[in-house]
Amino acid sequence: MSRALTIELLFPEIANLHGDNANVDYLLQCRPDARVVRTGLTDTPAFSSEPVDLVYLGAMTENSQLKAIDHLRPHRDRIEALIEAGTSFLFTHNAVEVLGTRIRNDEMKYDVAGVGVFDIESTVAMFGRYNGKVMGTVPEAGADNPVVGYKSQFSMVTGGDSIAGFLTADRGIGRNTTTAVEGVRRNNFIGTSLLGPLLIANPHFTRGLLARLDPDTEPVLAHEKLALAAYDARLQDFRDARRWHPFEQPTSH
Amino acid sequence: MRVLLTIWVAKLAGLAIRALGRAGTHTPGLIARRLHPGIIGALRHPSRVIAVTGTNGKTTVSNLLTDALEAQGLKVTSNRNGSNIAAGVTSLLLDAVSWTGKPRTDVAVVEMDERSARLILPGLAPDLLVCMNLTRDSIKRNAHPDYIAWIISSALPASTRLVLNADDLIASSLGADTNPRTFFAVDRLPSDSDRPTGAAVDVGICPVCDHTLDWDYWRYNHIGRVHCPSCGFRSPEAAYRAHNVDAAAGRVTLELDGETREAHLINANVVNIYNEIAVAAVLDQLNVPRDRIIDVLDHIQPPTTRSAVETIGDVKLVRLLTKGLVGVACSRSFEHVASFLGRKAVVLTVDEVSERVTDVENTAWIYDADYEYLADESIEQIVVGGVRRHDHALRLAIAGVDPERIVTIESETAAADRIDLGDVDDVFNLHSVHNAVSTGTVVQERLRARLEDRARVVS
Repeated sequence: MSRALTIELLFPEIANLHGDNANVDYLLQCRPDARVVRTGLTDTPAFSSEPVDLVYLGAMTENSQLKAIDHLRPHRDRIEALIEAGTSFLFTHNAVEVLGTRIRNDEMKYDVAGVGVFDIESTVAMFGRYNGKVMGTVPEAGADNPVVGYKSQFSMVTGGDSIAGFLTADRGIGRNTTTAVEGVRRNNFIGTSLLGPLLIANPHFTRGLLARLDPDTEPVLAHEKLALAAYDARLQDFRDARRWHPFEQPTSH
Repeated sequence: MRVLLTIWVAKLAGLAIRALGRAGTHTPGLIARRLHPGIIGALRHPSRVIAVTGTNGKTTVSNLLTDALEAQGLKVTSNRNGSNIAAGVTSLLLDAVSWTGKPRTDVAVVEMDERSARLILPGLAPDLLVCMNLTRDSIKRNAHPDYIAWIISSALPASTRLVLNADDLIASSLGADTNPRTFFAVDRLPSDSDRPTGAAVDVGICPVCDHTLDWDYWRYNHIGRVHCPSCGFRSPEAAYRAHNVDAAAGRVTLELDGETREAHLINANVVNIYNEIAVAAVLDQLNVPRDRIIDVLDHIQPPTTRSAVETIGDVKLVRLLTKGLVGVACSRSFEHVASFLGRKAVVLTVDEVSERVTDVENTAWIYDADYEYLADESIEQIVVGGVRRHDHALRLAIAGVDPERIVTIESETAAADRIDLGDVDDVFNLHSVHNAVSTGTVVQERLRARLEDRARVVS
């Protein structure tokens, strides 16, 4: 029997870069009965006191990362408890860095502790923006339907050797230029540096995510035919080795 | 001596390049920077240096200022015909000195690429910097407006006077406490609203207390006037303001630091109203008499626009440059389409897949653009052409466009043949920059031919 989903969108007034919040808009079109809680920076997060099915945080500026850390730090224990209990989280682009142990930005002259949920560190290079593509398999979508996406970022993530990745890239770099392990995954927490319309661009992954959020309801994708057509075209492109530049591969490969 | 040698080599290179029939506005600067990386600061500058930057409007404002200052009898150097990155600015400064290194013009008007500020500003040390706005641009190059603001502020000399857009809270925050500053603005317009909409709103919280801001008026992106209901923070007050915009009469009222003047409205597009009040503010800051400022505005030619309209029979054919990769630029084009009141058909070829060869493709910008403007019953059909046509079609459907009205076709140019011209009043040809000729012009010709055929049949 279908039940209403609750999706908490954290800090949409600052974490709204690169079209990332379209992911939540799309989930709402897939599940029109879902309730979206938009939690402002100075609001108390809903997840701190009530059940939430998915907590989402999108791309933000470097200054906004610092604000997000300040406002999430008081909820660190609750976040860890929810992750252990199996609550789903999706943090895109640089959002997952907020939950790491440290963000260092020499050009902007700060070196701060993160919320500390994950043992990862990020190093921000304001004049070293990395642009690249990624393709890799995730359990939610199966081997035939790899996740495809894009990176455009100042930061590289290190550490977290014992933490599973969101995916291991078949093509493209992972947390940094020396590894194919991309993002983090713990229980139902997913953090990935892929940006933009991740859920819209990956309908098979989104179907898997919806099934996990509500196992009793057959997932329905909004505009499925168009979404699959766009995905198939991109996948065909990404499977063509000629579309990959040398710098898009980890140096350890 | 090193500076002189650099001047000579660069000028000789410029002469050689021009002898070959090319403009030579970039390479001499490139050579000079190789020979002397600090050449921008080492050259003697004209007695007044004005830099103009921002995401939109910097070219128009630079050109208008150059014309206005020349009209005052001043000898002005500008990069009107050159590049606005470090090499282009170096070429400009080389042109402004003699072979012995002496300044030979009165004023330099420097259009500056905002991302190049760190290479230009420390040496250029402009007397005055104008920033028109800082809105989202290429995700891959410019990241976000906060980043560009940081680049400019980090490179800005402490004494440079700033002329900033008060309606842009990011641009208006440039610089340090040491920088003297003045602001320009455009008062609330009938088309403004009370709260922001759209994907790309980069001002949401109070810079003092993090509380969500309220809007006195919202125009587009993060442009408008804000206040904080929690701590009382407000957008800066503008000494220079445009209001009473009368498009029909071509008039506008300008507040010039305490004095009200009526002026010719150069162009009713809001971007050009900002351009006009910014030009007036700079000229006033340069102590140009206000009668002359008004006279200058009376004689300014409207800037060229990215839109061209031709009427064929009883149908308007509108060609609109819609810069792919930059979502906010697409939003302005889509908003322009929505402003037409008749029944419409749209050919959309803003695919930027070509960059997958020259660079790395990244289609996230599609979700920075407000395709919602196209979710309008008056748009009877949208034909999307190109390799990533399914992405755009999906975006349109998510925005609320009836999928039945969306047609996809692989060939960009053949989109012109697929569009149903039926009984529409307006036909739009929306193409990007890279395909302006290969697609935009071809689509325009085909649409024109079809509409001419239709007009002949009707008559």
